[in-house]
Amino acid sequence: MSTSSTSATQALPPTLLTDLHISYIQKLGENKDDLTYHLTSHLRLNAIYWGFTACCIMGHPEALNREEMIAFVMSCWDDEAGGFGAHPDHDAHLLSTTSAIQILVMQDALDRLDIDRVVKFILSLQQPSGVFAGDAFGEIDTRFLYCAVNSLSLLGRLDELDKEKTVRYIERCRNYDGGFGSSVGAESHAAQVFVCVAALAILDRLDVVDINTLKFWLCERQLPNGGLNGRPEKLEDVCYSFWVLSALSILNGVPWIDGKKLEAFILSAQDPEGGGIADRPGDMVDVFHTHFGIAGLSILGYPGLVDLDPVYCMPAKIIEARGLRKGWKALERRQA
Amino acid sequence: MSNVLLNRMKSARHVSGKKQQDWSQDAFTLTTRLLQVNPEFYTIWNYRRNILTKGIFHNSSPEAINHILTDELAMTMSALKSHPKVYWIWNHRRWCLENIPNGPGKQQEADFVGWKQIAWSKELFVVEKMLDSDARNFQAWDYRRYVLAGMPTPRPESAELVYTSRKIEANFSNFSAWHQRSKTLTSLWEHGKLDEAKSREQEFELLRNAMYTDPNDQSVWIYHRWLVGTDGSAELLEREIAAIQELLDEQPDSKWCVESIIRYKHLLLKKSSSADVKALSEECRGLLGRLQEIDPLRRRRYQDLELEL
Repeated sequence: MSTSSTSATQALPPTLLTDLHISYIQKLGENKDDLTYHLTSHLRLNAIYWGFTACCIMGHPEALNREEMIAFVMSCWDDEAGGFGAHPDHDAHLLSTTSAIQILVMQDALDRLDIDRVVKFILSLQQPSGVFAGDAFGEIDTRFLYCAVNSLSLLGRLDELDKEKTVRYIERCRNYDGGFGSSVGAESHAAQVFVCVAALAILDRLDVVDINTLKFWLCERQLPNGGLNGRPEKLEDVCYSFWVLSALSILNGVPWIDGKKLEAFILSAQDPEGGGIADRPGDMVDVFHTHFGIAGLSILGYPGLVDLDPVYCMPAKIIEARGLRKGWKALERRQA
Repeated sequence: MSNVLLNRMKSARHVSGKKQQDWSQDAFTLTTRLLQVNPEFYTIWNYRRNILTKGIFHNSSPEAINHILTDELAMTMSALKSHPKVYWIWNHRRWCLENIPNGPGKQQEADFVGWKQIAWSKELFVVEKMLDSDARNFQAWDYRRYVLAGMPTPRPESAELVYTSRKIEANFSNFSAWHQRSKTLTSLWEHGKLDEAKSREQEFELLRNAMYTDPNDQSVWIYHRWLVGTDGSAELLEREIAAIQELLDEQPDSKWCVESIIRYKHLLLKKSSSADVKALSEECRGLLGRLQEIDPLRRRRYQDLELEL
């Protein structure tokens, strides 16, 4: 049996430190003179999406100021391109545009958005092969394809997408291990599996997935310490809790891993003093791992959390209200 | 961290503003400094490319452009060494490569794509160096495939077998290399460039060594699963089951041995007469029970597979 449980953890069974995580997220935007703030400006909109979604899943959407958030999102609008940059005065990119749309949907503020223009921007990035570029400079990746499909779907404009072409590209990225890579020929990677499977779920084309082979590959991501890795023979990382679990829940395979052990692993990566969750126990926390750790716990049925829709990585109720819910299955929510 | 850096980061926002139309050498130098501080600053990479295409290149000969892009590749090399996982750097290198002009020779001359040849060959060397220090960097593998596909004079695909052999022999756990090898072999077989039957046997031989080296390494077993495929003959399946059984007898707790035997017996089931089906099903059931003991994390999967039998 496991030798990792020390006397300290036996005395204090780890629980989710919700209040600490909320205050950790609230403090993130405070010190704008901090160099770190500027060094991470390329991720600012994404970071707000991660922080806000985590607050929503912990049941505290009011923890962050709504009007300030919407105003910040709108200040990232790049009027030349017709999309959102990661920060005011940064160039539009599909990654930040998707985060902006997700935030506006969660804040019920889509009326502020010039939807026609942003749809035009997104559609302009589809390449002849079917994949999407991140911006006008043309880097391609299945991550960007997912961003496009997710965003168009949230905006109710999926009909304008060439779905056949999009699905054909994903199909070409499928490997014999059942997984998907970042582009045609690339090795399977759990994060790319999530984006491809979730895009196929939105497009109602899960028939493209070799379901049993992929579920097998996904459940083999769990390591003896309970954590999940992203590829064979790699280290565990809290963020894979979401990439792997989301894909498993879309394929109705969450019970194929040991949820209890994964839960304990995620909780052990919390910072019990300052709040936040790290990639693995003992490392520095960040908002990315905090969000994906909590997202993973929600799929595992952790008590007190709000249901997360694994396809869109947003609160399930918001997706249901838009009539976009797909047939995914998480573990039943446990009572505290 | 110093205030100088902080101020530079703040001023960068103004540099990157949409109204900014400064395509000068000074602006170019400023982007160099900013990117040295923060190579994640994608808007500055964009701005830098615009300075080149909208400003500096206009007054430059093809030879000068080649020179600038060669410097650019050297500059991003040092950035990549300290930040090997930053997408924007890899992306910028792609852009540089794609913009190397034709020359120095004229069209029809042998060295018409001489500069490109040099740049793309050097790039392959550089990315292989990166893979020497981190053999699983998937961005480096992706980039390497991109370079191989774009080289002005393509390398023969069979060179990939030599390269992946080298990577696999250095470390059997390198699934990235096994993956690349499976893609290469599939292509060589499809195009009739390699005797498929003979080369499959060589792969089984390679796997045999790897399995015995570390029976718990899943890279090897996933590759084995690919090599056996879904429509292997009964003879092949029986031979592989026997070989794995031999290893299992030595290593009775090897989950991957048991998993693989079940998989191949299951394939065999579909080819068997009804009397054999019963026996094979019983054997699979027994093995699935064994897996539940040695691999409790995935117990539910084994139970589900049992129900399916």
